[in-house]
Amino acid sequence: MNKNIKGIKEERGVVFNIQRFSTHDGPGIRTTVFLKGCPLTCLWCSNPESQKEKPQLMVRDIKCSGCGACLSSCPEQAISFSKKRKRIINWEKCNNCFSCVDACLYKALTAVGVYKSVEEIVEVVEKDRIFYENSKGGVTFSGGEVLTQHNFLEKLLIRFKEEGIHRTVDTTGLASLKVVKKIIPLTDLVMIDIKHLNSKKHKEGTGVGNELILSNLEYIAKNITTWIRLPLIPGFNDDQDHILKIAQLATRLNVEKISLLPYHEGGRAKAAQIGETFEQEEMETQSDEHLKRLTDILSKRDIKITVSS
Amino acid sequence: MIPLINTEGIREKLVIKAVRNIRKNFKTKEEEGASMYREGISLDLSRSRLLTQSYKETEGKPMVLRRAWGLEKILEGMDLYIQDWEVVVGSNVSSPEGLFFGIDMNWRSVKRVCDSKAGRSLLDDEGRKELAKMSEYWNGRSISDIQREKFSGDVLDYWKMSKGAPVTWSHWSHLGIPDYEKLFKLGVKGFIKKACDRLVELDKTVPLDYIDQKEFLQAVIITLKAVITFANRYSDLAKKKAEETIDPTDKKRLEHIAKVCAKVPEHPPKTFIEALQSFYFIHLARSLEFSSLGIGLRFDKIFGPYFDKDVKEGRITRKEAMITLQLLWVKIHDLGLIYSPTLSSIYGGVASLQAVTLGGVDENANDVTNEMSYMVLETAKLMQTPEPTIALRYHDYTPRELLSAATDVIKTGVGYPSLFNDKSMIPLMKNWDVPQEHATDYAISGCVYLELPGKNISNRAVGGIILPGALLYGLSQGINPMNGEQIGAKTPDPKTFKSVDDVMDAYLTQVDFFFNKLCTIDNISKSLYEKYIPRPFYSAFLEGCIEKGKDTSSWGYPSAISDICIVIGPTNVSDSITAIKKNVFDDKKITMEELLTAMAHNWVGYEDIQQMMINAPKYGNDDDYADFIAAQTQERTAKAMMNSTNRFGYPCRGDGSGISGTYAAGSIMPATPEGRKAGEPFADATLSPVFGMDTKGPTAVLKSASKINTTKTHNHLMNQKFLPSALEGNMKEVFIDYIRSWGDLNINQIQFNVVDSKTLKKAQENPEEHKDLLVRVAGYSAYFVDLSKGLQDSIITRTAQGF
Repeated sequence: MNKNIKGIKEERGVVFNIQRFSTHDGPGIRTTVFLKGCPLTCLWCSNPESQKEKPQLMVRDIKCSGCGACLSSCPEQAISFSKKRKRIINWEKCNNCFSCVDACLYKALTAVGVYKSVEEIVEVVEKDRIFYENSKGGVTFSGGEVLTQHNFLEKLLIRFKEEGIHRTVDTTGLASLKVVKKIIPLTDLVMIDIKHLNSKKHKEGTGVGNELILSNLEYIAKNITTWIRLPLIPGFNDDQDHILKIAQLATRLNVEKISLLPYHEGGRAKAAQIGETFEQEEMETQSDEHLKRLTDILSKRDIKITVSS
Repeated sequence: MIPLINTEGIREKLVIKAVRNIRKNFKTKEEEGASMYREGISLDLSRSRLLTQSYKETEGKPMVLRRAWGLEKILEGMDLYIQDWEVVVGSNVSSPEGLFFGIDMNWRSVKRVCDSKAGRSLLDDEGRKELAKMSEYWNGRSISDIQREKFSGDVLDYWKMSKGAPVTWSHWSHLGIPDYEKLFKLGVKGFIKKACDRLVELDKTVPLDYIDQKEFLQAVIITLKAVITFANRYSDLAKKKAEETIDPTDKKRLEHIAKVCAKVPEHPPKTFIEALQSFYFIHLARSLEFSSLGIGLRFDKIFGPYFDKDVKEGRITRKEAMITLQLLWVKIHDLGLIYSPTLSSIYGGVASLQAVTLGGVDENANDVTNEMSYMVLETAKLMQTPEPTIALRYHDYTPRELLSAATDVIKTGVGYPSLFNDKSMIPLMKNWDVPQEHATDYAISGCVYLELPGKNISNRAVGGIILPGALLYGLSQGINPMNGEQIGAKTPDPKTFKSVDDVMDAYLTQVDFFFNKLCTIDNISKSLYEKYIPRPFYSAFLEGCIEKGKDTSSWGYPSAISDICIVIGPTNVSDSITAIKKNVFDDKKITMEELLTAMAHNWVGYEDIQQMMINAPKYGNDDDYADFIAAQTQERTAKAMMNSTNRFGYPCRGDGSGISGTYAAGSIMPATPEGRKAGEPFADATLSPVFGMDTKGPTAVLKSASKINTTKTHNHLMNQKFLPSALEGNMKEVFIDYIRSWGDLNINQIQFNVVDSKTLKKAQENPEEHKDLLVRVAGYSAYFVDLSKGLQDSIITRTAQGF
């Protein structure tokens, strides 16, 4: 068993992915380190496996060969097979011991979330230094909500300062001001997600109001280069009126850039893979015409915009 | 000054000759019966007719003179045409729809193609009769007949994998780059004078090989005079057409052609168009003398100054020059030739690997980029033809604007320019004892063929070596499992292997053994080429031939640069060795015996072992465990191959020109230890990871590749596939930064396939609607719909590197 999955050590954080060659998470070519755990429960969450802080079992049925090696490995007897050799997980019984992950040769059973030390992360991020240097890129810390693991994040940011690598923090903005004040001086750029400017609507979509997020945004924008990221949720926050208000706010706060993230259904399949249901009903992504209308509103205001797909 | 032609229609002038390249894996019965070539395309018999006639007339005469007279007869007698839009004229066939064919090389397979359903449309009954008649004469006289007759014993046994050896020899055509710079300085008349002077000198010195030298120099003079006649015939034709036409613009165009062709290549060119025309005549005569591929000239370095001077002196506008280039592109694209079915599947259709080189440094280490560099890229973007392809030489001072212009061409998905890194290519050549002033002038003549313009190199692929096959022989004591024959070296029983070093040693012994066989075959064949197909015309333009009085095939440039062998599957081998190290020797999860049993069963019933091998660390993920073995494997393979030498004692070497051979080779090979099943393709280039095994993205692939030291190996090929969105908008600058990083990592080559898999799948389903879709297949670009289903599938699955 991988010692990094079992046994919590204080100096380690829970990382659910390290993505090299990220080109949409800040300037240039970057490596994005995704930290696990999030206080929001957005209906449309595209990374449902990022919500819980602890490592958890994730299945990939398409890779399952039906060999049955996982059956005997499970101490809780949470795994069974249908008559058609389809593997079924009893998620209630699963205690995330990951014995089945070790037993599976086909990587159809995996652990999402690994305990990693600062140095282990440095080792991976360091590998693409030459690309950061040529493209003015660097490292981005994202989530989940990256500030949930703020003590670990703090250590990472200090360490990467030593390494001379550009640091971006991608946050939902939901954390105490004290935490925000601790983290901001350690970063070179903050990207903050805004889901809705109306607190009631915000609560409907994400489970929490937006007051703390917006007040943190004020503080962040005053103290560091800031980009606003706007996940476009059809019928929820992608109307022209709402975009116009975001644009006004961005202008007032002197935000450098706004990134529009058109909707995608990536979260649905992943929710099933961790034994959860995806509440949001199926929706289509924004049409090119609609995106054009929205970007037109922003470009009139002399703010840099990108649309990430 | 040339009259302007409407550029809108230029692309419509392209004659697309092949319908389909590979005659296997047809989807439907109807397709099986259909022709391999597009309607109206014919096999051009004019060269064959004239050469046959000349051969009959000169029986018993010295071979070098017979070859010269043969070329003379062709250049003086071939039917010529000038189309109503041409500015630069000339062809190696007698109609725009004609396919070139070298009857003196190999007539059997071509005759077979023309008699088959796939090639029936190429000739009418009368043509078929004529071909049959001519073939009777060449039976016993063509180079492939002579080979058949001269190969004996061991050599015959190992020829063309007949015994199941993982090497294949083939008389793939030669490439090579004549010294165009000297041609432009002296004109052909200058070369004639040089040869005449040498003859006078010869009569004074009378060396031991006096007769050989004399005959060679006489042959040189015959062919050089013949190419002047060839050009003058075009001049006469243009004059005649000019007199006949009533359209004043057209008259002007034809008169211009008449004037240019009366002057070049005999005299040094003065204008841009004269330089192009001079080059083109030499290029054509070279292929008419001897079926040859590639171009290779450093287009911007050579033509740029002529263009700049013309503009300065008001002889041409940029727009006019751009039209001329586009029209030349149509001409180059027309240079299709017929291959045997086997070579068709490797080269793809009728491609003749026409490639030009841009950028790079000159002999003083200055960047050569000029306006012509940009114009060629612009032409490529407008024309999007499979040929000519472009090799862009990269170095630290390559202007960002040039990379930006190159990215615009790459973005169209044509698969070029491919990038070559001066920072590793020049040190590599230094390692092969190429003097610095020669190395800085390197060019890529076709695919990734590395050559030195004007030097006696004429690169030709000796053949191919399937490295995973050598590994399998290393795991079977050199015995062919199909029939129990000992055809490889006798290496120890794998069950006695104590460490992964024993695996590596056995593999290298087999590489050495089989490659030696291949080189022996080639050395014999090259001595046949020397005796039976000397090339006096081409030799004239290579430094040293006239001076020595010796044909290109009678001596060699003193470096390993001159002979290459296509290397297939080095990363499959290193992943295999890594997986054995991990599972058999490090973790001791399985024994060697269990592994061999599982492989012998193609993993059926042993899926757990297969999965274990797949799960081992893999090259392409920036993982030192796998990459260290990859570097070791590649370096030691290259070293083992350089144990074999060519006829002149210089080492033979590997090369990344894998072409679609990686697909063909995989289809006949059994299961390999990295977890690959029998019949699956091998990695598509010498630096590419095994299909689907790179999971950490493109930067990790580059990092892995950078650990394989080019100077300790050879000229590699590396494919990466990107979606178009990766090169658009804001991402374009990031892409250029990515290229800069590739350069800083000292990887010698890279080329990009830019297309999304959705488009590819659609094209596969509705080929009619995607006739023009170009993709990069290893070293060249091909129409996607022309490829076999299997090759199409492998391109689709090649890991899409998403941004």
